[in-house]
Amino acid sequence: MAIQSWRIRDRYYRLVGSRCASCGAEYFPPVYRCRECGSDKMKDKEMPKTGRIVTYTQLHEPLPGFEAQVPFYLALVELENGARVLTQVVDSPDEAVKTGAKVKATVRRAKVEGESGQIIYGYKFIVA
Amino acid sequence: MARSKAYVASVGFTKVGDHWEKSLLDLAVEAGSSALKGAPKAKPDVLIVGNMFSAVGASQEHLGAMVAGALGLTGIPAFKVEAACASGASAFNVACSLVKSGSVGSALVVGVEKMRDLEPEEASQALAMAESAEYTQFVGASFAALNGLLARYYMESEGVSRDELSSIPVIDHANGVTAEHAQFRKAITADVVSRSSMVADPLRLFDCAPVGDGAAAALILGDPKAGAGKKLVGVLGGAVSTNEFSVYERKDMLDFRATRDAFGSAMSQAGLSLPKLGALEVHDAFSVVGALSLEAMGLSKRGEGCRDAKAGKFDLRSDMPINTFGGLKARGHPVGATGVYQIAEAFLQLTDAAGKNQVDRPDYVATHNIGGVDTTAAVHVFGRAS
Repeated sequence: MAIQSWRIRDRYYRLVGSRCASCGAEYFPPVYRCRECGSDKMKDKEMPKTGRIVTYTQLHEPLPGFEAQVPFYLALVELENGARVLTQVVDSPDEAVKTGAKVKATVRRAKVEGESGQIIYGYKFIVA
Repeated sequence: MARSKAYVASVGFTKVGDHWEKSLLDLAVEAGSSALKGAPKAKPDVLIVGNMFSAVGASQEHLGAMVAGALGLTGIPAFKVEAACASGASAFNVACSLVKSGSVGSALVVGVEKMRDLEPEEASQALAMAESAEYTQFVGASFAALNGLLARYYMESEGVSRDELSSIPVIDHANGVTAEHAQFRKAITADVVSRSSMVADPLRLFDCAPVGDGAAAALILGDPKAGAGKKLVGVLGGAVSTNEFSVYERKDMLDFRATRDAFGSAMSQAGLSLPKLGALEVHDAFSVVGALSLEAMGLSKRGEGCRDAKAGKFDLRSDMPINTFGGLKARGHPVGATGVYQIAEAFLQLTDAAGKNQVDRPDYVATHNIGGVDTTAAVHVFGRAS
């Protein structure tokens, strides 16, 4: 499955989403068609790296590969351009993780895959 | 255009729970054989199996031909339909469409899921396949985590309290006590829900449907005369609708559009208004999902689903009982089978065979099954046929 992550490394490392060439709406994750105007003229676009927490949870029962991280915060972050990212929020005091909190993107170790122990990196956010 | 009607002639199901001694195929055959006992002729014309993750739950695919062969139906066309947790009702929907089109005269639907052979983390991974591998699973978000996000958003936006959120699981567990096929047959209080262990804050253990094994089946006929005098239940409406794939991609996360559209369409096909419904089986995989579904179907106003449940509006002895055999929380949620369990339960209610869970002579019952967080919604409306 490492290839699946490698293929979209720009999206994981630099938050490359998409921008509609017709109406300007921006998305992360990227979309094939604009949800605003229906256009299929979507171009890759790097997202802004700051935003606010729309809502969040603290997860106590992990997926395989995330056992060492629990409990951890997952948040829906609205970036400055209106795009919404589902992300972990790390390295932030518990009391700072709340609805409306300003956050900024960083790159972290996301998970370790397979017998060879390949490390997959990706975006996580911290409270700004 | 629909040329024929569709009728449910018989149903079958296993108890939901820990079937350590039974395989995926054992369960499918038990439910399927039970439904076929009501069959008027040797073989149904087609078999549709509803299942979400046999590939990871039992290292098994190709369920259509496998279940057909095990049921002695070798020769007929057989398929698996998958739509995450809505696989069961989606399979039923496809089967009804085939019958109504006139291409087949009868169809057997078997919903089956084997979940308990998996370790808890593996079961979470299997359920997470309902969501994007690249952007949801990648960040470590389980299916419960997405529902946890949604629950906090719902509670903060609509001013819903922890105590109110607990009210739908309480109804499920109350109804499960007398349901012989239910996984859990124990009444609980809101306090039990509110104090259970944390899964995905604010969702706690008793907000979440359990992991269990089970299979349910229904035999569908196009010609009521083929029912050989048995009590039949008419399929008066059926619709499947889809929403933006992940809940976090939606402009209004609290609008369960797929549920709203599928329910509206199915009720319109049946020519029914809400007050005509005698019972509703609602897909409450998480307490918040039950509430938002009731709101999308118009049983409650926005933000009021939990409060209405708390006020007794959906109790078994109310005008609009929900989850009459315990719903996803107490009857259980063997995911690919759940939609067919709901349909089997509607059949029991409409043939006055629901025993201690019988609601007061309903003329119409609806079932609501979703995959993902309202990503696929499948709704069917049933009525007495004779």
